[in-house]
Amino acid sequence: MFANFRLSFAWLHTWFGLVLGFVLMVAFFFGSLSVFDREIDRWALPQTRIEAQPMPSFDKILASRFTTITEPDPEEREAASKRVTQPLPEELTPAQWGAYTTHRDPVLGMYVGFAVPNSTLPDDYAYGEITIDPRDGHVLPRDQLALGSAFFYPMHFSLHITWYDIGYWIVALSAMAMLAAIGSGVVMHRKIFREFFTFRPGKKLLRSTLDLHNLTGVVALPFHFLWALSGLIIFAGIYFPVLDRMMQPLVEAHEREEAAHTGLDTHPSGKPGTLASVDAMMTAARERWASRGVPGEIGFLFVNHVGNSNTYVSIYRDSTDRVATAEGLHFEGSTGRVLFEDPPAGPIETVNAFLTGMHLQQFRHWTLRWLIFVGGILSSICIATGFIFFVEKRKHAHAAEGFGGSRWVDALAVTTVTGMVVATCFVLVMNRVLPEDLAHRDTWEKSSFWLAWLATLVHATWRSTAVLQARMSNAWAEQSWAIALLGALAVVLNAVTTGDHLGRTLAAGYWPVAGVDLMLLAAACVAAIAARKLQARAAEVVSVSPEVPDYA
Amino acid sequence: MHDAVLLAAALICTVIGMGWLALAMDAHWNQVRATRRSPRTVIILRVLGAAALVASLVLCLLADTATMAVLVWMMLLAVAALTVALVLSRRPRMLAPLIAAIPQSS
Repeated sequence: MFANFRLSFAWLHTWFGLVLGFVLMVAFFFGSLSVFDREIDRWALPQTRIEAQPMPSFDKILASRFTTITEPDPEEREAASKRVTQPLPEELTPAQWGAYTTHRDPVLGMYVGFAVPNSTLPDDYAYGEITIDPRDGHVLPRDQLALGSAFFYPMHFSLHITWYDIGYWIVALSAMAMLAAIGSGVVMHRKIFREFFTFRPGKKLLRSTLDLHNLTGVVALPFHFLWALSGLIIFAGIYFPVLDRMMQPLVEAHEREEAAHTGLDTHPSGKPGTLASVDAMMTAARERWASRGVPGEIGFLFVNHVGNSNTYVSIYRDSTDRVATAEGLHFEGSTGRVLFEDPPAGPIETVNAFLTGMHLQQFRHWTLRWLIFVGGILSSICIATGFIFFVEKRKHAHAAEGFGGSRWVDALAVTTVTGMVVATCFVLVMNRVLPEDLAHRDTWEKSSFWLAWLATLVHATWRSTAVLQARMSNAWAEQSWAIALLGALAVVLNAVTTGDHLGRTLAAGYWPVAGVDLMLLAAACVAAIAARKLQARAAEVVSVSPEVPDYA
Repeated sequence: MHDAVLLAAALICTVIGMGWLALAMDAHWNQVRATRRSPRTVIILRVLGAAALVASLVLCLLADTATMAVLVWMMLLAVAALTVALVLSRRPRMLAPLIAAIPQSS
């Protein structure tokens, strides 16, 4: 089929990269933003702009909050009703309580897992979630959207396509394609070492684009590979549900065996039981960590078999000091004595925990956090330049044939490169413009994002007719101007509506909001410079040689 | 604060190391200096470059636990290589101090 090995890899790289690159762009751009999801949350939810808080008292605050969650969230109930063989009863029994926080969270996430009877899955739960202010326990309004952790973050792995979880599968397929694109990219690169440091912006657009594609691809090669791989590993349980499908009897036997060893029962006893002071257990956990000289704030607190005689409490520390998440400490609920402590992980679990922890970044290391953000942006640049190269290479031939292929690729590239940033800036602007007490405010914000993105697609398609004549689409420059304006506007609106202007946040050293503002301004400046250069280039090409292609 | 100093030193080492590795290549050497160099100079530059990168790894390991340090180092390499590439594309003469100690006619 192909003349040689390299050409067959080039075909693979070009076409898989093109088709799934649009998804990868979303995964990597929103993945990069997710590195700072908690900081974006603070920007978007001004009432939560306080310092990070430790896990509050269970006995005084959490216990009473858990009992206020009496039913699963509507969408959880809806989903659970499709997994059962008998109709779901009105009243569900709470089986699990969980509360989680990190060293970057001023708010606390809490959930109750309700046992789903007659489910086709083993140990099935439907969850009811709330977010509270840990200082006094008051519940934050549900329709206030945490833009970072509840919108951008799930976008990067699910695209918010919930129908049959198909979003997860599309992203997974793209991550697989990414791994293939990395391998084939290395094979087809003729001078991977000789051109390791090569970027020639003065050369023809085709050449300089390829330089930048190669440069960003090669220097961050380990990053591209490891993040695509670890992303796949995190959701391996969805893609290969061997444990709860194929191997279920084996898993249950193993769980029974393990429970006999750890004392942590897999099923509720069915007999009523009491819960001793969880605060005392938290204190015991902190003392144990202190005696080992490791940081000892609680990150995750979990109560299983709520209300049963065999209830137990698991406490995990916020693993600020290492890449992998920390082992848990488990207490008997009725007495508060330590039942079991997770042993240090074995070799396979260690690798898994490292790859997962690296991707999720629960650690406290701001340099590494920024470096990972830069890595994500490099991936995004690599993918974006891939699109531009595809179009530049083909547009003259396509224009001569009257074929619209590169025009549509260009329109989609504009939409997923600049359009996505426009929509992101737009949702931040809308976050500050919509009235605070608007009902379903979260839906308004999400809708505004999708509408803005759709608008950029329409605009890019309309402007891409230029590509039919082998010219550059003005949509690139115009959407760059939109980014510059919306980014700056978001910063101004934040100052006007909350009073937290840069002068104040920088003076107070409140980096979550100052950082988002500064990044918005930086993005606006880069976009403005890019827009000017794009316009200058377009004018230059037209005035010098309206008919002659700039690269033959 | 101590860790910040170590990490800043690690970044400087990776940039310098990547700079030396780039200058060991003919095309980039020619961007910085007009005169030719001996094969021995190439070897010296490569050894210096590799040593600087190893030094930066050691600095990262001093600052953080090993698993964290490896990630920091891996990302510093990417940032440093990109920095050197961008310097070479715009202001290659900025790398001249890295070979100031090498005589003109070596």
